[in-house]
Amino acid sequence: MYGWNGRILRVNLTTGETSVEEVDPRTARDFIGGRGWAIRYLYNEMDPRVDPLSPENKLVFSTGPLTATPVPTGNRYMVTTKSPLTGAISCSNSGGFFPTEMKRTGFDLFIFEGRAERPVYLWVNDDRVELRPADHLWGRTVFETEDMLRAETDPRARVACIGPAGERLAPIAAILNDKHRAAARSGVGAVMGSKNLKAVVVRGTRRIPLARPDELKALADQVVEEVKQAVAAGKATLRTYGTAYVPPVTNEVGILPTYNFRTGVFAGAEAISGRVLSEKYLIRPKACYGCPIACGRLTRVEDPVFGGEGEGPEYETIGALGSACGVDNLAAITKANYICNELGLDTISVGMTIACAMEMYELGLIPESDIGRPLRFGDAQAVVEMVRLAGLREGFGDLIAQGSYRLASHYGHPEFSMSAKKQEFPAYDPRGAKGMGLLYATSNIGASHMAGDTAYMEVFGVPKKVDPLSWEDKPRLVKYFEDIFTIVDAAGLCVFLSIRYLFEPTYNVEPVRISRLMEYATGAGYDEETLLEAGERVYNLERMFLVRAGFSRADDTLPPRMLHEPMPEGPAKGHVVELDRMLPEYYRLRGWDENGVPTKEKLAELGLL
Amino acid sequence: MKIHIKLLANYQKYLPPDCSSSSYEAEVPPDVRVEDVLAQLPVPLEESVVLVNGRTPQPGQALQEGDVLCLFPAIGGG
Repeated sequence: MYGWNGRILRVNLTTGETSVEEVDPRTARDFIGGRGWAIRYLYNEMDPRVDPLSPENKLVFSTGPLTATPVPTGNRYMVTTKSPLTGAISCSNSGGFFPTEMKRTGFDLFIFEGRAERPVYLWVNDDRVELRPADHLWGRTVFETEDMLRAETDPRARVACIGPAGERLAPIAAILNDKHRAAARSGVGAVMGSKNLKAVVVRGTRRIPLARPDELKALADQVVEEVKQAVAAGKATLRTYGTAYVPPVTNEVGILPTYNFRTGVFAGAEAISGRVLSEKYLIRPKACYGCPIACGRLTRVEDPVFGGEGEGPEYETIGALGSACGVDNLAAITKANYICNELGLDTISVGMTIACAMEMYELGLIPESDIGRPLRFGDAQAVVEMVRLAGLREGFGDLIAQGSYRLASHYGHPEFSMSAKKQEFPAYDPRGAKGMGLLYATSNIGASHMAGDTAYMEVFGVPKKVDPLSWEDKPRLVKYFEDIFTIVDAAGLCVFLSIRYLFEPTYNVEPVRISRLMEYATGAGYDEETLLEAGERVYNLERMFLVRAGFSRADDTLPPRMLHEPMPEGPAKGHVVELDRMLPEYYRLRGWDENGVPTKEKLAELGLL
Repeated sequence: MKIHIKLLANYQKYLPPDCSSSSYEAEVPPDVRVEDVLAQLPVPLEESVVLVNGRTPQPGQALQEGDVLCLFPAIGGG
């Protein structure tokens, strides 16, 4: 096989046995890799109705055919499992250096089953596979765990692990790799914790065989050259400011989540921008493996209260821990980000959950005695303290660690949770970007910007600008973005490079460059049409997992605030999300029935019957 | 009449040297069109997002007193 290793490592944590399986070429091609292979195995092997934190749930780490190839940003891996936050499938993905190292061990996928009796970690050194005791690591932070594991395995090894939040089964716990990169969403860290699996350590030296290496290298080099030209021309905003450049942009269009999505306009947007981050805290930009963009931020905060050093914050983190909480103190947001990485928390879900708690506290729906302190919007110190408590599940942090839906429901008011399928919104108020509204509502993984981020076109003008306030054209746009994000995830690439450089500049044109790269890597017979169909196949199989888990149209919805409370101010003033008008058309375009279930005809067309 | 010109992300380098925020005030003829103001700016217009008061302007749209004309490079992220 080319592009793929074609091998899966299966780890039974209950018995301690490991085994190696080959992947047949047709499955490889039809499901692409990464997220696609993961759902193919999970769907065939497990009952989607199982308790996510039981030994019956399975956990899959997967790379794609372009991971660890010369294709720029071929550095992603995905974590797929039944989510304890949503009860649906997860597709949490991360970059850094771990994914490339994992692929170079000679395995594309790790499948974890069962539950270890005592804490363990997996050590994969090329073909040598070992489950080792991890009692000495239990309770340790992410940073301590990585340092100790590299010391006792190989200083060149790469580590993905959980912190205290995952050990304590927080439904918003992340899996961190390379200390600061996170497969953050949907509580995948808690699934790892439930299996007593503290860490996965990899060291790989295998080169990935490619079907047409010269052609792949030539096209990859051309893309790198285009990025370099953009950098040289001073256009590379992500290099200059990281994703932190975004708050003033979303604020300008009136969709920067503020005060738990009461409004989309925040007076402190400039104070929490990339410009301030660069001036005050940036040490230098940091790239993942093989990335010419370098959007990562290595930062240091010198401050008596919020001091520290690490990576971040990203835009989503700033939106959640900053504007959504009414906080305009970038030092505090950065500190809260460091703590999330250290303890293993999803910055989006924890920030948005604190915002939810702040609104409910101010309305008198949560008594101060439960929290142990006042919790008003704008209180930076309270945000940092709540993040720490959530990561340790101590005091009021135990409720925050369960996410906003469970917290708000605990006090009898789930409507204050700004979530879809119980997963917190990312930092775009969908009332001012209607595609994002339809995406949050229908996404297989609950609200997420990584499921098919139509803000690319609605807000950022990539590959071209569309009106964010119109709804008529959005069902088609959402379907297309969901399918192409599926391809990018399954291939093992980063969306930042892919959407801009690997697709044609109108969304009704086929994904030309990425299909050529896929074909040069694998030689499996990909062209634009077969690749788009494979993306749609994977998306539909994920949907079938949800259907079998008991999800239906009733779950493809948004909080009442998004549907009935018009945006109070700014460019999106007066707007709500017209979900009822978009949903039927979206289902029709998908080939799903009026209950959101793929029809027999659609499944047959995709070879899924 | 006066309008505000706001430059975000990498276009901040085109702000006047004494400008401490992301926007500055500019004097323009009454009812000037968006395109005419853009033509006077030192910003590369291809691959830019242009907004008037946070919304995409219509072709030929005239500006009003106090309008905010905002530009940033078209690039995803978040």
